[in-house]
Amino acid sequence: MQTLPGVNPENPHARRPGLAGWLLLAPMIVWLLLFVVAPMAILLVYSFCSRDDLGRVVFSFTWSNYARVFDPIYLQVLGRSVLYAAITTAICLAAGFPAGWFIARQRAAVRNRLLLLVMIPFWTSFLIRTYAWITILKSEGLLNATLLAARAIPAPLEMLYTPAAVMVGLVYAYLPFMILPVYGSAEKLDNALVDAAHDLGAGPVRAFSEVIIPLTWPGITAGVLLVFVPAIGMFAITDLMGGAKVAMIGNVIQNQFTKARNWPFGAALGIVFTLLFVLTYLALQWRGRRART
Amino acid sequence: MKLIRTLLTLGLVAFSASGAFAAKKPGELKLFAWSEYVPQAVLDGFTAETGIKVSYETYASGEEMLAKLLSGGTRYDLIQPPDYVAEALIKDGLLVPIDQTKLKNFGNLMPEYLHMPHDPEQKFTVPYMVGTVGIVVNTEKVTEPILGYRDMFSAKYKNRIVALDDGRELAVTALYVLGKDLNDFSPANLAAVRPILAEWFPRIKLFDSDSPKTALLNGDVDLGLVWGGEAATLWNENKKFHYVLPAEGAHLFVDLLAIPKRARNVENAHLFIDYILRPEVSKLISDEFPYTNPNGPARKLLSAEQLANPASYPTTTRKLDTFRHIGDVGAAIDALITDLKNTK
Repeated sequence: MQTLPGVNPENPHARRPGLAGWLLLAPMIVWLLLFVVAPMAILLVYSFCSRDDLGRVVFSFTWSNYARVFDPIYLQVLGRSVLYAAITTAICLAAGFPAGWFIARQRAAVRNRLLLLVMIPFWTSFLIRTYAWITILKSEGLLNATLLAARAIPAPLEMLYTPAAVMVGLVYAYLPFMILPVYGSAEKLDNALVDAAHDLGAGPVRAFSEVIIPLTWPGITAGVLLVFVPAIGMFAITDLMGGAKVAMIGNVIQNQFTKARNWPFGAALGIVFTLLFVLTYLALQWRGRRART
Repeated sequence: MKLIRTLLTLGLVAFSASGAFAAKKPGELKLFAWSEYVPQAVLDGFTAETGIKVSYETYASGEEMLAKLLSGGTRYDLIQPPDYVAEALIKDGLLVPIDQTKLKNFGNLMPEYLHMPHDPEQKFTVPYMVGTVGIVVNTEKVTEPILGYRDMFSAKYKNRIVALDDGRELAVTALYVLGKDLNDFSPANLAAVRPILAEWFPRIKLFDSDSPKTALLNGDVDLGLVWGGEAATLWNENKKFHYVLPAEGAHLFVDLLAIPKRARNVENAHLFIDYILRPEVSKLISDEFPYTNPNGPARKLLSAEQLANPASYPTTTRKLDTFRHIGDVGAAIDALITDLKNTK
């Protein structure tokens, strides 16, 4: 089994950064403490509190928020969110891997231009791009008008405010987050290794599964995490393109902090949700280590 | 010890005195109000006349306002709570009484919008705008008459309906159909509401409280359960959008002006309220946001067309009730709605 650098007990220097190292790390540590550890601690405390009549947090200990998280209603919501996120990730992987791979195999000039194309959507606000999709998909929208003009369909299709519209929105939003990490790994991959696999008699399938996949695994893992994790919590797309019809865990949590004004329950959902992320990450790490052995 | 405490107190008094003095001089007003509700022209006019600078922060729901107000980040001078939120704030002693002797335009308000259940003594609030929640019908697409919730949510119109994404507004429609009181969310009533909403929800194409008019304008739906102001805008856009106050029951919402307890510029808040109450200023608000204007002389300044807008000034002889503070039941309603959206 391959050991990772930094956990090697025989090399004490790898574990003890000097003063300069700590100084360099300091901004990051402060940032993490202020904006990750502190809010998570507040969330953890809140998740055991109660709310009063007006929705203010009351500091009296209770397990009831967690009990409510495991109510079938919310488990179902969570299950659906995970399912949608998994489908999104699968589609993004299927579409993003070839794209990332293709870009990485181009000449430098072409490569940079293609990368720019992947990035261009980020120059426009995410919400505006979502509204653009609404304009395309609505009953009297661009797509229906085109299909009607081409006589491909007899009547406008109901596309907006359906689960399919939510999937389109999710895949659209997260595809670049799959392409970029895959590109990152694929670009570093030495073509000679693929050639060597072919020379040694591996067919395209075998070369792909035994050489390309393991060597781009870090990129795939990063891409899967970058797509799957935020896709579970997404609430804007489900509201705008799904018509707020199917509740996702992101919507439910957002609701607790705004409309329902039940911060403790929202906090409990957030904590459980975060634990889920950690588990996903650990699972991927474990899978990654197995793939490398 | 005593000396230290005295010194501290003195210091605090001096500090707050200087603070009050400083606040009085430059003149400032921190307004926390609904988005799309206070015209820029009104804010500019007030500043031009008084020299008081208005900072206008917005929110999209009464609950959001409550959350931000109670978290205590900014000390707002004037807030714009809906009736049932104001009731809760009054109950918890979180509002400063309004000194009506400082409001020489108070008499402009129509008596029917005063002494309402949220503020029976009319001590803490001043009505800003009033509205109803009702049904918009695209009469080009829906030819049969729509009289109430039952007609609107009938199986015929599956996937042609937009409804407010607001648990309480949705639950109330079912309470009306059952003939129950609109503020009675007893467990028995909630249980009775469930099967009705469960039947209706699969027929609703989308839920949207921010801008339900968009789906109607886009032609994605032909019926909508919307805020009266949104319906008024639709009617101004195209006369095919008719507004109906549901036969089973409809309610009124009153958005108020109120001064929170921690306000720094109570005096300026009074000046602003009085400014808003002037007929010509109130008319400006109606021009831009066509809700029901509770200001009698201001209504006289409106055009015949504005007054004829059925969504701004619905003709009804019925007494319309308002929402009351329901406290904890909100969580039960939220769970019910989440569950119903789930089971589709």
